[in-house]
Amino acid sequence: MKRFDLIVIGTGLAGLTAARTAIGMGAKVLIVGRGMGALTLFGNTVDLLGEIPPDTEMEEGISRWIASHPEHPYARTGWEGIESAIAAFQELFPPPYNFAAAGRGNSLLPTGAGTMRPTWLIPVTMAAGAAMTPAETLIVGFRGFKDFQGDTVSLHMKCRGVTLPLPRYGLEGLTAPALARLMDETSFRERLGEAIRQQMAGERFIGLPAVLGLRDPAAVLKTLETITGARVFEIPMLPPSIPGTRIFHRFREELIAKGATFRMGHPVSGAVVKDGRCEGIRIDNPPLVAEYRADRFILATGRFLGGGLWAEMERIIEPVFDIPVFQPGERGQWFGERFFEPEAHPIHRAGVVTDADLRPVDTLGRVVLANLRAAGSILAHHQAIEEKSREGIDIATGFLAAKKALAL
Amino acid sequence: MTKEEKPVPLTKLPDVCVRCATCMAACPVSRVTPRFPGPKQAGPGAQRFRSAAEASVDDWIDLCTGCRLCDTVCPAGVPISEMNMMAKAKYLDERGRTFRDWLLVRSDLFGEMAARYSKIVNPLLKKKVVRWLLDALLRIDRRRALPAYEHPTFRRWFRTRQAPKGGGPEVAYFYGCFTNTNETDVGKAAVEILEAHGLKVVVPPQRCCGIPRLGVGDLRRAREMGRRNVDFLLRTVRGLDIVFSSTSCGLMLRHEYGPLLHLPGAEELARRLFDICEYLLGLHEEGKPAATFQPIPLKAAYFAPCHLRSLDIGLPALELLRRVPGLDVSLVEAECCGLGGLYGFKKEKFAIAEEIGKDLTEAIARMKPDIILTDCEGCRMQIRHLTGLKVLHPVQLLRDALERQGEEIHRVPVESFNYLG
Repeated sequence: MKRFDLIVIGTGLAGLTAARTAIGMGAKVLIVGRGMGALTLFGNTVDLLGEIPPDTEMEEGISRWIASHPEHPYARTGWEGIESAIAAFQELFPPPYNFAAAGRGNSLLPTGAGTMRPTWLIPVTMAAGAAMTPAETLIVGFRGFKDFQGDTVSLHMKCRGVTLPLPRYGLEGLTAPALARLMDETSFRERLGEAIRQQMAGERFIGLPAVLGLRDPAAVLKTLETITGARVFEIPMLPPSIPGTRIFHRFREELIAKGATFRMGHPVSGAVVKDGRCEGIRIDNPPLVAEYRADRFILATGRFLGGGLWAEMERIIEPVFDIPVFQPGERGQWFGERFFEPEAHPIHRAGVVTDADLRPVDTLGRVVLANLRAAGSILAHHQAIEEKSREGIDIATGFLAAKKALAL
Repeated sequence: MTKEEKPVPLTKLPDVCVRCATCMAACPVSRVTPRFPGPKQAGPGAQRFRSAAEASVDDWIDLCTGCRLCDTVCPAGVPISEMNMMAKAKYLDERGRTFRDWLLVRSDLFGEMAARYSKIVNPLLKKKVVRWLLDALLRIDRRRALPAYEHPTFRRWFRTRQAPKGGGPEVAYFYGCFTNTNETDVGKAAVEILEAHGLKVVVPPQRCCGIPRLGVGDLRRAREMGRRNVDFLLRTVRGLDIVFSSTSCGLMLRHEYGPLLHLPGAEELARRLFDICEYLLGLHEEGKPAATFQPIPLKAAYFAPCHLRSLDIGLPALELLRRVPGLDVSLVEAECCGLGGLYGFKKEKFAIAEEIGKDLTEAIARMKPDIILTDCEGCRMQIRHLTGLKVLHPVQLLRDALERQGEEIHRVPVESFNYLG
């Protein structure tokens, strides 16, 4: 039976961050995911707290937020915790494909729905989106590419839009990963750049769906900008997210290179618990069940989509350790009247409550398992969707959980 | 197949899929061609409309290579590749399989014969006119190098060799057809490396694992072959562990005999089956008697085969290779070699296999390795075909790194790999 210093459960941004932080501290790490994690669903930019108005400085906004939200995950990490975790994230993405904030507060970036959305760290391939003005921007869609409706985006953003055929025959109906792969080919993106250039009417900005390559997106950007003479930006769209896939690949590459054991594709079916400590976990890979032992554990399995929380008829549970979950009232109170309400649905308040060290606690505030910590969106008392804080929570708590776990 | 042994129908499971499209980010086929709609659509999407009573209309289902990468990324636990496999089985059961497919999946039967007459067979298979005929009549693509046969087979070599004296705990070895007749040095290296770890190797009776049959959706024959193997191997595992050196054979034996084919005894067998590198790494980590390695100053690229990822045991070969001093080894950042077993030999699929392989070729070109290491015979064939570089099973390099008293280093006879092409 294999023994590790730390086992991280979950391959989303929180789990990956925790594993990388622990590896950096010299730990022997196993990271396990039931699937690839949520980076391919939501991963594009790094939100810290989109709710803060763009003219407010981020540090000031978050410090005020923490003061008024003492149970929020950010209250555990503090601004300093967020800052150092974000800096570590940025180190993983050196130029040319780097992540940076466009200002001292949130920046507004165009989305695939044609709206403007506030965010904090922006990958270099989206940076021009924060500087664009509608009158100077051309939105380019691809004929037959269903996941990005250029007409809708340009209509809502009040820009000019064109839908181009792809510069190679027989590619209609391609998916985002297929398009991204073609963009990695120099000749393909050169021909695309040329086709865009012919459609331009003096625009200084060009918005494209976020498919500008998987391997070398900065090179794709450079080719397109050189040919068109305009600043080019990617627009986030429907899953699978190519920018999120890049983040996942970069983390996985780094973790494996530094000696982490990476398991993916099978669920953790249970834990071995003894004397208030977790001793091991079991992974189901039919017909076998593998058991892994470690000194410390981090639970970063997300909420409902990731499988970290599970809704029974009247109760929300955490399926791996069956640790206490903050309940959002009875089932009748879980959801608001309409799907798109400005207020978060009460069910999104559910999650794992922890102490200051991110150790899950019960309703009386007692630590449940001494060597277990929770990180990411499974934590209670945040509303990541409405606040726009998903990546910030993942990165800051993943980082803190690993630091605290290995501090002993 | 009797009625109660029939695989459980998957009628309810498609609704577990939340359409998140993560699998679309992993599928190597839909990434290179719009002809295959991708795992989301071909698996749970189409499954909702499939009915046992109606004829299959899944004209594109045969384009799934069965790599199973979709299963490894799905956050909802949908058995996507199994749905595809069942759909493929139904489609091909109804439409019929070609003579070529009938022939290719029986390579285990004529392999022994071909190995015996390899001096005649190999030059024959190299002949342009033969390749042209195979291409025109059977649609086996003539651009794809056919593996050469080797004589004596691994099995014969093992039986007739002078086994080292002395005891030590025993371990059984499942070599697989390709090692037996086409790449015997992998088997020899496996035996040597196990012996260097103080183990006595036994080779139990065994047959083709049957995974080629799954590739053409022939569940009935796959099951027949599996049943014979379970009979042979159960006797062995009632005392010994079995290691395998082919990740695809291993995946089939360990995870398809039970959950997919419902063979009695499969679970008991699975519990004592190990990937050879997983097994060796375990010995090293548990402080059991293990071999020491001498320096091999090479730059190596290790590629993780899809079926190894599906075994979901981490990357034990990479971890073992890191224990060889001087060996600069890193992981190839590519998802799939594209061969898909027999898939890439088929004329109508050759272009897809080549296109998938391109990403791997480029990743390797950026690394500029002296040597490439990978656990799967299909990947080795494909990478040799695409790059022309030396490609070995990790155990072959480990065997070469063995510290042996008063003995010259036994270099891998890479140049002697007589790949036809």
